[in-house]
Order: sequence, then C-alpha cells, then structure tokens
Amino acid sequence: MATEAQNASAAPVDAAHATTDRNFFQERSGIKSWLVTLDHKRIGLMYLVAVVLSFLVGGLFALLIRIELLSAGRTIMDADTYNRVFTLHGAVMVFLFIIPSIPAALGNFLLPIVLGAKDVAFPRLNLASFYLYVVGAVLALASMIIGSVDTGWTFYTPYSSNTDVGSKNAVIWMTGAVFVLGFSSILTGVNFITTIHKMRAPGQDWKRLPLFVWATYATSVIQVLATPVLAITLLLLIMERGFGLGIFDPRLGGDPVLFQHFFWFYSHPAVYIMILPGMGIVSEIIATFSRREIFGYMFVAMSSVAIALLGFLVWGHHMFTSGQSEYSTMVFSALTFLVAIPSGVKVLNWVATLYKGQITLSAPMLYALGFIVLFSIGGLTGLFLGTLSVDIYLHDTYFVVAHFHYVMVGGTVCAFFGGLHYWWPKMTGKLYDERLAKVAFWIFFIGFNVTFLSQFVLGSRGAPRRSWDYLPQFEELHRFSSVGAFIIGIGILLMVIVFVRSLVSGAKAPPNPWGSAALEWQTTSPPPVENFASTPVITRGPYDYHLATEGELYAGFPEDFEPSKKA
Amino acid sequence: MSSHPQNEHTSDDDGAVHAHVAPTKLYIGIFLALVAATVLTIGLSLVHLGTWNLAIAVVIATAKAALVVTFFMHLKDDNRFHALIFVGTLLFAGIFLAYTLNDTQHRGQVDRVNGSQMNDATGERAPGGLP
Amino acid sequence: MSTATTDAPTASLEEAQPDAAPQDHGGHGPKFLAHHFDTPVQQFDAAKLGMWLFLAQELLFFSGLFVLYSVYRSWYPADFSWASHQLNRFMGGANTIVLLFSSLTAALAVRSAQVGDRKKTGMLLLVTIACAFAFLVIKYFEYVHKFEAGLLPGDRFHPVAAHLAASTRDLPIPQHGGSFFGIYFMMTGVHGLHVIIGIGVMFWIWLRNQRGEFSEQFWTPVDLVALYWHLVDLIWIYLFPLLYLID
Repeated sequence: MATEAQNASAAPVDAAHATTDRNFFQERSGIKSWLVTLDHKRIGLMYLVAVVLSFLVGGLFALLIRIELLSAGRTIMDADTYNRVFTLHGAVMVFLFIIPSIPAALGNFLLPIVLGAKDVAFPRLNLASFYLYVVGAVLALASMIIGSVDTGWTFYTPYSSNTDVGSKNAVIWMTGAVFVLGFSSILTGVNFITTIHKMRAPGQDWKRLPLFVWATYATSVIQVLATPVLAITLLLLIMERGFGLGIFDPRLGGDPVLFQHFFWFYSHPAVYIMILPGMGIVSEIIATFSRREIFGYMFVAMSSVAIALLGFLVWGHHMFTSGQSEYSTMVFSALTFLVAIPSGVKVLNWVATLYKGQITLSAPMLYALGFIVLFSIGGLTGLFLGTLSVDIYLHDTYFVVAHFHYVMVGGTVCAFFGGLHYWWPKMTGKLYDERLAKVAFWIFFIGFNVTFLSQFVLGSRGAPRRSWDYLPQFEELHRFSSVGAFIIGIGILLMVIVFVRSLVSGAKAPPNPWGSAALEWQTTSPPPVENFASTPVITRGPYDYHLATEGELYAGFPEDFEPSKKA
Repeated sequence: MSSHPQNEHTSDDDGAVHAHVAPTKLYIGIFLALVAATVLTIGLSLVHLGTWNLAIAVVIATAKAALVVTFFMHLKDDNRFHALIFVGTLLFAGIFLAYTLNDTQHRGQVDRVNGSQMNDATGERAPGGLP
Repeated sequence: MSTATTDAPTASLEEAQPDAAPQDHGGHGPKFLAHHFDTPVQQFDAAKLGMWLFLAQELLFFSGLFVLYSVYRSWYPADFSWASHQLNRFMGGANTIVLLFSSLTAALAVRSAQVGDRKKTGMLLLVTIACAFAFLVIKYFEYVHKFEAGLLPGDRFHPVAAHLAASTRDLPIPQHGGSFFGIYFMMTGVHGLHVIIGIGVMFWIWLRNQRGEFSEQFWTPVDLVALYWHLVDLIWIYLFPLLYLID
C-alpha cells in the first residue's frame, strides 16, 4: 500500500517510507482486480484494449470494402451486404474507436499523472463509463448478429426510420448502442473537466498545464455539451421507428432535414472530439523530441478552446445539398472558414517549435510529423468542401471520403499511434523495437497516401461515395486505392508485432526513456498506484527544458545517474 | 492545493466545507412567488393577446426559472463558475435553436425548387419536392 | 488500494461514501473523505462541479425537444393551438404547483441537512418523494385521457370527437396534430422518466440519511439530489405554459 503524505498541510513526511517498489500492475492481481478497479490507469488500459479491438474490427470491414471495390460489379458481396459493411465500418470506427480512443484510453491513463493527482475526481464514475462503453459495444455486436444496419453511420431519416433490410430491429439496436456509448462519453467528459479543475497538484496552475490537458479539456467540453443532443436525436429516431412519432419521417408529417440538424449539432463538434486530443498528443511529442519549449504555448492552448467553441457554429456545412435554407447555407459556409484560423495557429506553432530544435526522429516523432503533413492536407481540402459552389459538385463523392480520412486517419489515428508509441514505456514499463516501429510507420504512411490520395482524384472526377458499383473509368484508381488499404494493413500488423514483442521480451523501461521534461516522465515506469511516491509540487511548466535539472532529463535508470562535472 | 476560486464555501483554508445556510422564510417566500407567477401565467393565457401570449408565457417562465436557479439551487452564493456553466449551456442551446430556426423559417425563399414542399393530400412534407 | 473497496459500478456522482475511504488512511481527515482527495472542501467542490456539468448535459438533452417544439409550432401554429386546447389546464396547473412544492421541500431538506437535523431531512425527503408520486398519478390520468381520445403521435393520431374539448369540437381536425402529440409525449415522457429516476435516487439518499451517513460536515449527496430535482422542476416550469397554455 502506498502510504504517502496525503495532506499537503501534513508535509511530505518520511520519504523513504513513502517510496514503493511496486507499480500499479503488481499492487493487486487476478481478473477481479481489473474488473472492479477504480485505478484510472487500469481503466485506461482496459479502454485501450477495447478500442484497439474495435479498431481491428473496423479495419477488417474497411478491407472488405476495398476488396469489393477491386472490380466493378460484384466482387465478393452483393450490394445489400456492401451497404451493411460500410455502415459497420463507419459506426464501429467512429463510435467505438475514434471517439473514445485518445480521451478515454490514453487520456484516462495520463490525465491524473500529468496533473500530479492520485486519480480522476470520480473514480467510480470512470469505471461506470467504461462499463457503459462495454454495454454499447455489446449492443452494437447484437445489431450485427440480428442482421445489421445499412443506413450509413449517420442514420439519416427517412431511410433509417423505414429500412428493414436484414432485420426490422437492427437500427433500433445500433442506435441504442450509440445512445449508450454517448452517455459513456458524457460521463468521461464530466469527470475530466472536474479533474482538471479540482485535482491539480500544488503549483500546477493553468499556465503550466501540458497542451494535452488543454486539448482534453476542450474535448470534454464538447462531450458534455454536444453528446446529449445526439442522445435525444437517437431516442427520437428509436421512438419514431417504434411508435411512428411523426418528427423526422415525411410520411408521418415529419421533416427529415431536421434530423440532419440534430445529428450534425452533435456530430460536427464530435469531429473535434476526435481530432483535438490528437493535436494535444502531437504537441507533447513535438516538444519532447525537439527538446524545446512549445512556441506560443498560450496560443496553442487557446486554439484548442477556440476550435471546440467554433465547432458548434458550423454543423450546417454537412447539409449544403440537403435543401436547407440558402441563408443558413451561406452563414454556415462563412463560419466554416473560421475553423481554419485556430487550426493554422496550431500547425504554425508546431513548425515554429521544430525550428532550430534538437530533433530526434524517433517512431513517435515520425507519427507526429506524419500528423502535421496529413492533417494539413485534410484540413486544407476541408476548405474546398466548405466553399458552397465547390461543395455542390464534390458533395457525396470520394473527395469527401478522402478529406475526412486524411483528418481522421492521417490525423487522429496517426496521433493515437504516436501517443501509443510515446507513452508505451510509461504504460507497460517495457521498451519496444524502435527500428521496426519506424519501418511500420513508413509502411503505414505510404499505404495511407496510396489509399486516399487516389480517392481525392476519384472524387474530383465525380465518383460517388457509398456506391457498390462504379463506372469502368474509375477501376484503375479504385484498384490503386485498394492496394493501399492492404499496405496500411501490413503496416498496422507490423506495429502490432512490435508491441507484442515488446510485451513478451521487451527490455525494462527507465522512468524517462525520451529524456523529456514533462511531469509524467518524472515517476517510475509503470507508475505506482497513486502515481507518485509523494504528491509532487510543480515549479515549472512541462516544456521548460531550460529549467529542468539534469536529473529530470536523464534518460537512463536513476541508479546509473551521475551528475556531469561540466557545471 | 488546487486553486479554489474564492467563494462562499472555500474562503476558509481549514479544508472543511462551510455552507451558507439561508433562512427557511426565504425558501417559503420564493415558493409563494413561484405559485403567484403560475397563477398569473394561467390567468394571462385566458386573455387573447395574439403573439404576445407566447412572449409573456416565456418571460414569466424565465422569471420563475431564475428564482429556482438563484435561490433553490443556490447559484447566488455558489462558485461563480457554476453560474457560468449554467448560462453557457443555455447559450449553446440558444445557438442550436437559432440556427435551426434560421433554416426552417427561410426554406426555399431563394430557390423555390430547393424548398420544402408539402403534399396536401397526405401531409407528406419533404425538401426538394415530392414526385 | 481503492480497488478492493468497490461493490458495483454506479452512475452516481457522489464519490464520498464512507466505505470508499480506505482503512489505511488513519489520520487522513474524516471518514467520508475519499482517498484521492486532500480535503473535504476539495471533495465537495469537485462533487458540485461534477453535478453542474451533469445538469448542463441534461439541459442540452432537453434542448433538442425544445428546438423541435419551436420548429413545429412556428410551422403549424393553428394546429398547435387546437392540440393545446385538448390538454387539461387544471391538471397541468395542479402538477406545476405539486412540483414547485416538492422543489421547496427539497431545498428545505438541504437546509436541514446543512444544520445537521437528520430527522427533519428524512421527513422532507419523504414529502418530496410523495409529491413526485402525486405528479406521476396526475400525469397518468392525463395520459389515459389522451389514449381514449386518440390524441396520439404521428399516424396514430385519430381523435375521437366525443373526447375532445368542447371549444374545439366543431373545428376541423388539424393535419399536424400528430406532430404536436409526438412532441407532447416525448417532452412529458422524458420529463416523467426523470421524475421516476429522481424518486429512486431520493429514496436511496433517504436511506443513507436514515443510516446516519450525513452530518453538518458532510451533506453533499443531499445537495446534489436536490440540484437534480430542481432541474426537473425547471424543465416543467417551461413545459407547462408551452404545452398547456397556447392561446
């Protein structure tokens, strides 16, 4: 048991007694110690396993899509099956993977540590949100077993209020799953905001918070404010299917465009739930591997908040061709361009941080740099789509598919992988094979661009998305794209091998293998149950390399540390 | 320690919770005011004032809500940040409402074909027209 | 350490059950203080902030229904007026008073918890629960009438002339009455669900009060459940004029 100084007023007494050799893995063992744990680190790891499994399932559906599109007409499945496969790819990736991936998995593990806290503010609520996630995942699985949905992940009415391809009730099960997952997300948001406000260690003031925390904070605000609207929307859809409510279905006197307003009021901010934490991770990685203070710290922090708030003002740009009022369309289009400003601030500040930095091209750094490149492409093509006249042409083509995959996969997934590599030694206490990890990155990066650059071309030539069949002139590009998907698959497989090898036979990780100045690296790898031997007192920011001591930046094991005699 | 904003509960630094206990009379007074406002709304709803009826009903409801939030929910003596959360939330709900109405009130005004059309026989209603 | 002391995951926002305080924290503050907090005030502030964020979530959850209401009322004002006249203003008004009174008793329960009057707190919580039940009973009679009169959502909207309000019996049946009743049942149904949940949570808090878990030093759960209950009241304050009192 970690019996450390609990009370700041009681002063950190007997440090020798406070130190514990046991990390949070060793503290307790057995299945039950995991299932009923209140330790944010264990909950974070359970989330990690769950989201990675979801990612692999979603990836499998992606490969099925790309196999089907290898040739025009039927390749391996019929059109109805194809509709279900792309719906499941979208729904699983969005609701079961991307949204919880960084905040709930990595965020849960790291947030209290980087704040210098012992745990999140509401540990039991944290466990409850994990189990809500599990219930949501089980419901989603059930919907697949009883016949599965073919509506697309957006569940647009009136199709979703009437379709019964496969099964009459699959839509109810799947939207029920998303409803439950939404509450999991809301509770995580409530928990994280409270944690950031109330659980910071002494000296950890707002201007010293890591940018990952700022990003998580902005994300949590969106989770709390936007997700309930999704919940009520899906509840209305379920009721409409069940009882013929007459809200969204024109056959019953409803209005289908209203559904799109309701859905995108959540789902556009949700895009920022997906990308903001990724941006936070990139800030951390860039600072560590440039060994420099983040350029314009406060600008980067505030740009996260700005993106979160602007995210609520632009949802109508998903609906330019829906028949909504032209006045709305113009307002939404104009506001959409504003999002480019904070996004640009971030990219500029990352590049400025790199400038004259002491750069190490480690695997996490490669993912972070990959993020900057791919996110920039994804972000800039977003401006094409935000432009009214261009969007009318590009709407519902592969251009849109390529755009959001550049942001979601090239952005978020890349950052997630980067964060996974970066914090892997901290989470598991094991080092991984850097060389092989870099190879995996390059395979992933090349495969990604092969898959989706070709889709920009497809889209600009008018190839419609979500279509099972296509015109002969698109065959070459579709095949090219499918080959890319398999290259991505190989890259990810190699990454999995790297991690499994690390778990089985990886070398023991020192507390601070990257020589970072940030707080999470100042405790053991993996950390003890209460994260630090005694409550840390924060005296500098996480990127203040000029203020960090030689010992704090030492990359080896503490017992080998010898202060240099230069000074 | 975490930085606690100065407020009623945390201004002492002994770490204990110090609540502001309001007198029972205040609560009962607020309740009576709420009942009076309810009676007033019902009464005014019987008078035909056209569109003003809705405006008056919403204003009275908001006044009642303000009483509940300020006194029953203690926002008056509470951490200011909680009030910010509450007002901020209403602001976002307002954005949701205003933007949606901006569409639904003005559909098809520029381009009739793009507007929502209704099939008078069935009441079916769809943007882009019906076949 | 805390891993051993949990029973089942609950969605409650209180993290301050005494049994959550590990035994090896002797000398670390009072029994109700959870291990990861430093002081009772930190725990109290965190719980309050968490609850307010939860209420923010609730407000936006309901906001969807209010947006629906606004859109449909602006589209079909005459239909809404007709449909509103089918609702029973007397029952709606009575329910408003019942809920306002329950809000008063909830607020007084917090007050008596703050001064450590356990007996009075328990009694006031029971009165609040009783009011919640009264609200549901009145609601039940209203619903039964709507079912009998065929005033139902969407394509189930088939009004029975005999059950309609006298003032509207000679008017034509509006085309979009189904949309009004769709919104009516969603709004009052979701609100009613919140009342039922409130009854459950208040009963749990009442049990804890009777077990003697609260004191002048620790009454956070009473405060939080009252906040939730006031929000339920707040929603009704808007629902009543918007649904029942359309001219």
